[in-house]
Amino acid sequence: MSLTTQKSISNPPGGLLIWIVIYLELLTYGIALVGLAYYAATNRTEFHNDSLLLNRTIGGINTVLLLSSGFLIAKGVQFFKQNALQKTKQYFALAMLLGLGFLILKGYEYFEKIDSGISMDHSSFYIFYWLLTGFHWIHVLVGVVILFFIRRSIVIKEDKVNIMDIEAGAAFWHMCDLIWLFLFPILYLIL
Amino acid sequence: MHQTINKSFIVLILLTIIGVALSNMPHSTAIVALIILIAAIKFITVGFQFMELKIANNFWKALLIGYAVLIGGIYLIFLN
Repeated sequence: MSLTTQKSISNPPGGLLIWIVIYLELLTYGIALVGLAYYAATNRTEFHNDSLLLNRTIGGINTVLLLSSGFLIAKGVQFFKQNALQKTKQYFALAMLLGLGFLILKGYEYFEKIDSGISMDHSSFYIFYWLLTGFHWIHVLVGVVILFFIRRSIVIKEDKVNIMDIEAGAAFWHMCDLIWLFLFPILYLIL
Repeated sequence: MHQTINKSFIVLILLTIIGVALSNMPHSTAIVALIILIAAIKFITVGFQFMELKIANNFWKALLIGYAVLIGGIYLIFLN
């Protein structure tokens, strides 16, 4: 794809449709984050104490897992453009593994919280925590499934796979990164 | 292109470590602002480098930067 085509407003990397989806998702999370900011401002002490109950180490490791996975996908897309299909498949497989790592670690964190009796009705903070991170967890799960099918199509069709499809799948995966990059500091670090 | 992605990844990991380290210090306006700024920089870096928005139309870049500034700004206003 030429640079002129890419620069067109109707042709962002991965196609127009995936970017409409991405911005709608960001808008939805943005509204929820504004709601969280409003309630946190009205009850600073309660939100701060509840936030301290979260495991920052797990949150930090999960951030590194998602960033590393996004890095591997970005590299994988570049390798596909260079027709290095074997490397593309390897990088996508590794990225999926890291994505699964995120899901398992987050699942462990959920288990820990439920085991300590911290469910959604614990406090206002935890309503936001469970809803925001729960929906994000589902997005990551969907992202892993999308990456699996993209990789499978590369295995079957090799270089006949449309680059736009690969970029769109990669963009969905990066969107999970984008959402987490605000969720993590807001829920775990600053409240 | 590969080198830019590699460098961006290193920056992202370093910023994550710095953000977590800052959160262990006593919370002040400056610390909260720094953590939010770091989050916004990471957000824009992923969008521009990993999602290749840097080669996209300015409209898509502006939306992403605008989102990061808006969310970061709202948190700075509400939490201070």
